[in-house]
Amino acid sequence: MHESIRGFGLGLRSEHYRDFIASPQRADWLEIITENYLVPGGKPLYHLDRIRRDYPMVMHGVSLSVGGSDPLDRAYLQQVRALADRIQPAWVSDHLCWTGTSSVNLHDLLPLPYTEACLQHLVPRVEQVQEILRQPLVLENVSSYVRYRADEMCEWEFIAELVRRSGCELLLDVNNVYVSSVNHGFAAQTFIDAMSPLAVRQIHLAGHADHGDYLVDTHDQPVCDAVWDLYAHAVRRLGQVPTMIERDDDIPPLESLLVELDRARAIAGSAGGDARWAA
Amino acid sequence: MTATDVLAELQQRCQQAILDGDPLPGLFVGEGAGIAGGFDIYLNAYRARLTAALRDNYPVLLRAIGDDAFAALAGAYINSHPSSFRSIRWFGDSLAGFLAASPEHLPHPSLVDLARMDWATRSAFDAADAELLAAADLATLQPEDWARRCFRTLPSLRVLPLGWQIEPIWKALDADPLASSDEPQYLQHVLLVWRPRLECRWRSAAPLEAGVLEALSQGASFAECCTLIADSGDAEPARTAAGFLQNWIAEGLLARD
Repeated sequence: MHESIRGFGLGLRSEHYRDFIASPQRADWLEIITENYLVPGGKPLYHLDRIRRDYPMVMHGVSLSVGGSDPLDRAYLQQVRALADRIQPAWVSDHLCWTGTSSVNLHDLLPLPYTEACLQHLVPRVEQVQEILRQPLVLENVSSYVRYRADEMCEWEFIAELVRRSGCELLLDVNNVYVSSVNHGFAAQTFIDAMSPLAVRQIHLAGHADHGDYLVDTHDQPVCDAVWDLYAHAVRRLGQVPTMIERDDDIPPLESLLVELDRARAIAGSAGGDARWAA
Repeated sequence: MTATDVLAELQQRCQQAILDGDPLPGLFVGEGAGIAGGFDIYLNAYRARLTAALRDNYPVLLRAIGDDAFAALAGAYINSHPSSFRSIRWFGDSLAGFLAASPEHLPHPSLVDLARMDWATRSAFDAADAELLAAADLATLQPEDWARRCFRTLPSLRVLPLGWQIEPIWKALDADPLASSDEPQYLQHVLLVWRPRLECRWRSAAPLEAGVLEALSQGASFAECCTLIADSGDAEPARTAAGFLQNWIAEGLLARD
C-alpha cells in the first residue's frame, strides 16, 4: 500500500540520488518522471527502488497524450501500470495536452483547443485511462505560447468542465498558470479561483525564463516572486495541497532546492487555508 | 465529422508545421513575423529537445566531431526520422545506420562504429537485470549432462561487428572530452558490451569467440558450441569451449537460469 502524501516534495532527479540515499532529507515526498523509469533495468530502477524505501512517491508522466487524436497507447499504459504496481505511488499524473499524432511523438506538451468537440474527445479517454490504471487520473495544466483561433472558451472554463464531466483530478501548476497569464494577458488569480478545491490533488512550482514580452516554462531557475505570490493566493483559495518544486535544467545542489521548499512551507503556513492534505 | 476527426485535422496541421519548421500554420491567434514567442517557441523546442536527446545518447560521437558538426547531423536525422517513441530515451536508435547510409555527415567513416558503440553502451546501461552465473552453479553438473547444457547470456549483452578499431578513441574521449588520438585503423572485429551489475563493461573479441557467444545466446548447447569451434579448425574444441565459459563466468557475461 502507498502512504498518504502530505506536505512538501521535490521532483527526484538523478543528480540527487546520492543525497537521498546518504541521509534523510527534509522533503516529505518525491515525484518521479514516469518515462525515466520505463526501462528494463539498471541504475534508474535500482536507485528508484532504493529511494522509494524512504520516501512516499507520486508518478508524473509526459507522454500519455490524453488529448491526442491517435488511439490511446495501451502498451504504454500497461507499462505505466506495471511501474505503479512496482512503486505504489499515491497517484499518477500526466498533462492536459497532446504530444503528437499519426504515430509521431513531438516530445512537447502542446496545448489543446478549448472547444466543446475537444471536451467530447477527452472525457471518454480520461475514463479509459482511469480504467486501465485503476485509479483517478491527475492532469496538469500546461504552459502555453499560442491560442487557437478555434477556441470557444478560456482555459479555466475548459478545465473546470473536464473535471466536472470526467471526474479527473488536477495537478495545478502555479508557474504554468502564471506563464500563460503573462503570455495571453489574463488575470492569473481568475484561473486559480475557477478551480474546484476538491479537485486539486497536487501543486507544482517551478521557475521560468523571462524574455520581456513573453515567458517560457524552462524549469531552469528558482521560483520567482510573482509565482510565490500566486502560490499564496492558491493556498488561501484551495487550502493546504501537497506542493512540490520541479527543476529540470541547471540543476543545483539539493540543499538549494530544499531552501526553496522551506519558502513554500513558510508561505503555505502564513497563507492559512484549510488543512486538506490529500490522502 | 466526429469530435475526434475535428481534433485530428487540427493536430495534423499543427504537427506538420512543427516538422516543417513552418511558422504560419494558420491555426493560432497572432501568427507571423513580429510576434515574439508564440508558435516559434514550439518550433525551436522540438529541434532543441530531440538534439539534446541525441547528445545524451551519443556522448562520445559528440565529443569526436564537436557541437557544430553534431548539430548538423542531428538536424538531418531529426528531419528524416521523426520520433515515434513514447519516451525520448529511445530517440536515435537508427542513427548509426543513417550515418552509414549518408557518410557526408561525418569527417571519417570509422565514426559510424563510434556511434554504434555509444548506442550499445547506452542500451546496456538500462537493459534488464539478471543474476550472474557463478562457477559454483556448475559444480553439481554431471559429466554426462555437459553436452546438453545450455547457457544464458546477460540481457544487456550486445555483440557488435565493427569495421574499425575505434575502441582506443572511444575510451580516450569517454575519459577526456579534449583527448586526441590517432586515426582509427580498418580492422574487422567484434565488440562485446554488457553490464554485469550496475556498471557497463566492454572488450573486443575474436570472431570465433563472438560467434560461439552468439550461438549460446540463441540457445545452442555446449556440444553445439564445441562443434562450432571444431569447424573453425580447433583441434581441442571442448578445451577451448571450457576456456571461453570460464572467462565469461569470471567477467559476468552469463546469467543464472
